[in-house]
Amino acid sequence: MPLSNLIYEKYFYRQDLKDSDAEMLLQLDSLQYISDALYFAESSNATLANDDTCVLTIAQMIDSLSTDNVVAIDHGAIHAKTYKSLIENIKEDAKVKTLIVTLNMRSFGANWIHSKMETALMKANVMYEQIPPIAKRIKLAFNGFDNQNDQMRGRVMEDHWRHDYIHLPDSFPYKNVRAWDDAVGGGNVLNFKTANGDWDMPRIELSTSYIKTYAFTIDPSSNPRIKDFDEIVEIARRKKLKLIYNLLAENMEYADSLVGETLTNVMKENAQMLVKRYTEKGVLVIDNLSAVPGKDFTEKRWTSEHYTQRGRWTIARNVAIGMSIK
Amino acid sequence: MLFNSLHFIFFLPIVILLYYLLAHKYRWILLFIASSYFYSVFYLPYVFILYAVIIIDYVCGLLIENSEGRRRWWWLVISIISNIGLLSYFKYSNFFIDIFNETAPLVHISKHIRNLDIILPIGLSFHTFQSLSYTIEVYRKKQKAEKHIGYFANYVLFFPQMVAGPIERYERLGKELRISQQFTYGNFSHGLRLILYGLFVKMCIADNLAPMVDELYQAPESYYSLSVWMAMIAFAIQIYADFYGYSTVALGAARMLGIHLMDNFKQPYFAKGVQDFWKRWHISLSTWFRDYVFFSLGGSRVKTFRWIINVLFLFAVSGFWHGANYTFIIWGLLHGIAYLLDKGISSILPSRIKQLKVYSIISMLVTFLLVVIIWVFFRAKDLTSSLAIMKQSISYGFEANKHLQVSWIPIAMLGIFVLLEAAIINSRFDNWLASKQISFRWTIYSVLVMCLLLFSGIKSIPFIYFQF
Repeated sequence: MPLSNLIYEKYFYRQDLKDSDAEMLLQLDSLQYISDALYFAESSNATLANDDTCVLTIAQMIDSLSTDNVVAIDHGAIHAKTYKSLIENIKEDAKVKTLIVTLNMRSFGANWIHSKMETALMKANVMYEQIPPIAKRIKLAFNGFDNQNDQMRGRVMEDHWRHDYIHLPDSFPYKNVRAWDDAVGGGNVLNFKTANGDWDMPRIELSTSYIKTYAFTIDPSSNPRIKDFDEIVEIARRKKLKLIYNLLAENMEYADSLVGETLTNVMKENAQMLVKRYTEKGVLVIDNLSAVPGKDFTEKRWTSEHYTQRGRWTIARNVAIGMSIK
Repeated sequence: MLFNSLHFIFFLPIVILLYYLLAHKYRWILLFIASSYFYSVFYLPYVFILYAVIIIDYVCGLLIENSEGRRRWWWLVISIISNIGLLSYFKYSNFFIDIFNETAPLVHISKHIRNLDIILPIGLSFHTFQSLSYTIEVYRKKQKAEKHIGYFANYVLFFPQMVAGPIERYERLGKELRISQQFTYGNFSHGLRLILYGLFVKMCIADNLAPMVDELYQAPESYYSLSVWMAMIAFAIQIYADFYGYSTVALGAARMLGIHLMDNFKQPYFAKGVQDFWKRWHISLSTWFRDYVFFSLGGSRVKTFRWIINVLFLFAVSGFWHGANYTFIIWGLLHGIAYLLDKGISSILPSRIKQLKVYSIISMLVTFLLVVIIWVFFRAKDLTSSLAIMKQSISYGFEANKHLQVSWIPIAMLGIFVLLEAAIINSRFDNWLASKQISFRWTIYSVLVMCLLLFSGIKSIPFIYFQF
């Protein structure tokens, strides 16, 4: 086994890191020794709008606003579980002293937790584990990770949509995502019609997308992302790193105009819970939930946390201010 | 539960240990629990579908045995309708709904039916066919009805072969399950060898070829015809390695419990004709269709025209068994046509020619080539894609701009595989290795383990036949 580990590490390990989309580990290995702060994020960090004149990422913007040297470790669709595994890889002698962890609201919902991308993410996660490289390969080859097919994930997601509790007003007729989504999708709730009287399908689809993405009430006792982030807090404490939680902005204006305040209230309640929970645990929480106006989101046809340069500067400024607080 | 999973690596030794520790009269309970657990790892609610199959066929078996005349026939019909009905609902509903939706406007029906939100239970085609063979055998009075529901349940559920065969008959597996198996070193070592080889074949051959095949089948029009042929041949090897690897692990896992499952493959790509191919490929399914469909249609004792129709029908149904898509039916029909041609040609050719060595070699190559071409319909997602591949394979590739990039790893693995398959011709890996000296055996083990550790595919390619 040690021989195969040696051969593997020398000749094949790097290629497997690439093949399993886990190259962030290589980034982390070098960046932790040259930067003061690491900015962990998903695609929100580096996605630009077509007409942006400023092409800086959020992390680069924070870097320009802060006295600390800030660099990003980012990859599309990653979430708290990935960050946790990566942060475990920060060594004791690393230069880095601050971790900025970006977590968007929807990553706490069933739509994201059970998304089709999860299998690939969990596969990459194996490569971040603190085990010998050959053991990682064995885990990958022998499906030693959460390897479910898309259909199974879809089924579990649907179960959550049907059964998960959402804190809604008593008078609200739809008690779960499925009922709410069906009602809106069927045109029974919102009167979205075009000028010539046809159903405005893009608006209806966007509305149902908002419901599926944000209509959930986080249960801290069972939500896997809460568990992951709690563990990040513990790891940061153990490694004596300052932890900043960047709660990203969502398009609250769109959510309100499409679905109404029933949905935005649910989102705000979740944000309040997160702020309270992690502030109590000693984390500096930057609540950006409503910080970016609708016009500063790049995508208008689906839900995302992709911002124009103005939106990115807003987020960066809030984080930089937070960082300056000792 | 997948055979190529850490889960299985822990599960199997625990089951084996408990199996031999328990008194024989309690082992059926262990196997029942273990098999239910094995299946529930895929999707828990679907275990209950299996239980339904078990109860229906168990009761039907008893009722068939205890009835006479027309009533026997009715109980058999109930069993067939239940099994085929279940299979049709899960596997074919959406296919027929699509046909309805496509054809309804042609006859001025404006109704549109929504597709059902169904996940096909893994291996449903396998266990319904296995269970059905039991009631048919009881009806034909070739098999006594099983009184003990536990043993019958284990026949349907037996975890090594429940999701992708071999499709066993009750006469064989039922008997083996009833025997009080003793632990023997022979069974244990043969079983381990089969598992090791099966995993090597699946993980180092099939899983290393799969990315290459997937890449080309996604956009065949971009590739030069040489690359298309490479992918076509690669798929032929991939599907064989995938299914053969699975079956070999199944044989090994069962053997460690003292149970001998039937061989499902006999080096099919060494077949000298399509008839011969079907005696070597997925043997348990071929014999199932022969015994329960072909013979029921009159077998070979009918007039030539009727026989031709029967053969084509048999192959078409066998294709449809694989999946609810026109491509599978065409795949089956093409094999049927090739089978008929092969039969016709070999009946005309004088036997002195057939005995020539060169004839054997040419037959083998032609058969392989034919099978490779027909596999295109099996692999492509629809008829249009199948035809695009066929077109690209014979075009000069004016629109093509890419060659398939092949790394040295699949080629090296394939080299080892071909060498081993050539060495074990007319035998089986475990038996072949058992006859070798200890130093040779351990060299082979080391090579296979090293290949598994360093060169197995890491793309997590599911077993192809699980979807059937």
